Amino acid sequence: MGSYFKTGLVLMAFSIVVGLMLSVVYLVTSDPIASAELDAKLKAIKTVLTDPQSGKLLISEDKIPQDMEQLNQIAWKDSGEADLFHAQKTQSFVSSPAYRFTLEDGRTAYILSGGAPGYGGNVVIMASFVQSPSGYGLFQVETLDYSGETPGLGANISLEKSRERFAQIPYSGLQAGVRVDRDAGVNPTKDPAARAEARKNGVVIISDIMTGATITPRAVANTIDTMFAYLQAQLEGE
Amino acid sequence: MEKKNLVNEFSKGLFQNNPAFVQALGMCPTLATTTSAKNGLGMGLATLSVLVLSNIVISAIRKLVPEKIRIPVYIIIIAGFVTMIDMVMHGFTYELWKTLGIFIPLIVVNCIILGRAEAFASKNGIFPSILDGLGMGIGFTLALTLLGSIRELFGAGTVFGITVWGDAFNVFIMILPAGAFLTMGLLSGLFNWIGISRAEREKQRAKLAKQQAKAGESA
Repeated sequence: MGSYFKTGLVLMAFSIVVGLMLSVVYLVTSDPIASAELDAKLKAIKTVLTDPQSGKLLISEDKIPQDMEQLNQIAWKDSGEADLFHAQKTQSFVSSPAYRFTLEDGRTAYILSGGAPGYGGNVVIMASFVQSPSGYGLFQVETLDYSGETPGLGANISLEKSRERFAQIPYSGLQAGVRVDRDAGVNPTKDPAARAEARKNGVVIISDIMTGATITPRAVANTIDTMFAYLQAQLEGE
Repeated sequence: MEKKNLVNEFSKGLFQNNPAFVQALGMCPTLATTTSAKNGLGMGLATLSVLVLSNIVISAIRKLVPEKIRIPVYIIIIAGFVTMIDMVMHGFTYELWKTLGIFIPLIVVNCIILGRAEAFASKNGIFPSILDGLGMGIGFTLALTLLGSIRELFGAGTVFGITVWGDAFNVFIMILPAGAFLTMGLLSGLFNWIGISRAEREKQRAKLAKQQAKAGESA
């Protein structure tokens, strides 16, 4: 009986010491982690407001927030720690806060972040929705977190060429519902014009890039769908 | 410990007992994260840090840990260091942390770490354990970097992001898991062939020396 207590106490002692060491490292790294996360968020905002074809920003550079204070000023919807919206069917969500920008030409753009379950955890993205005569269309997407995805497979979602496939989905495509080519029964094509045409129907051709990892782009497609549903509901209410 | 032995403790992991190519340990991160040279190097350095730190602590506490619970204690120590490395990488190398993703926490179950703790650090002093961790860690890092460089070169025409031949010649399969297995198999074969050739040469040399000694005696 005594040996059980002894081994239990030794294990507990080691756990406490390692726990204390971890708390020290946490205290040292918490600020750099917060700073790295903020930098990534600001970089992502800039990316989703940049035209993927011309490389030009939709707003002047000085209107892009540089710190947390400026970021809070452009918040459109903020529910604190809680998510703004949840879709039960796909388990996708829209995170808080959502941002609103007025573009140089007077149009409005909304920037939302959210995610859905991928292969090894949530795949989190940021997306910009820009006003057009027909309605709001998806302008650009940036991946914020794909740390649960397998490098070389699902993690390819972060590549620029993957992002480009989701960019510029018009209002008609968003209304039809965003699906990846495999789910829509569409064959992949190398022709950019054919890919743009597919996006008009909500079909994102990406299986040639994401070979063997359909779960990850499907998570992005589900997130975009959920973001669009949330945006529509909020704009109708305003 | 003799100076020669200490040198051997360090150098054995680099080539002779390379953890990836000769011992075939830690195959999961070796195959999955080496899509580029940078990923391979990053993963290797993260593993090297955990290996050296855990070897130091396990060697230092080896006489305090009861035999029955040594493995759980080693795992607590290794998991602690992996979490620390994860937090440090999250804060200071954000892009690499994002790319390596789930494989950083998985260093806890990398059999090289627990293997060296059980086979070496728990039986030897701190200094030889540091050398063992450094040798094995550097050997693993070099293996991952080499594997990543070859796959990146043939898959994307670049090495460490620097264009070598760009899109002029790309073998798509090299970026896929099949490319990892192919490259790993070829490099493993090469390392083993070099090892066997070296052993054969040493055997021949010893035989020759024995024959010469015999001839000298009879003369």
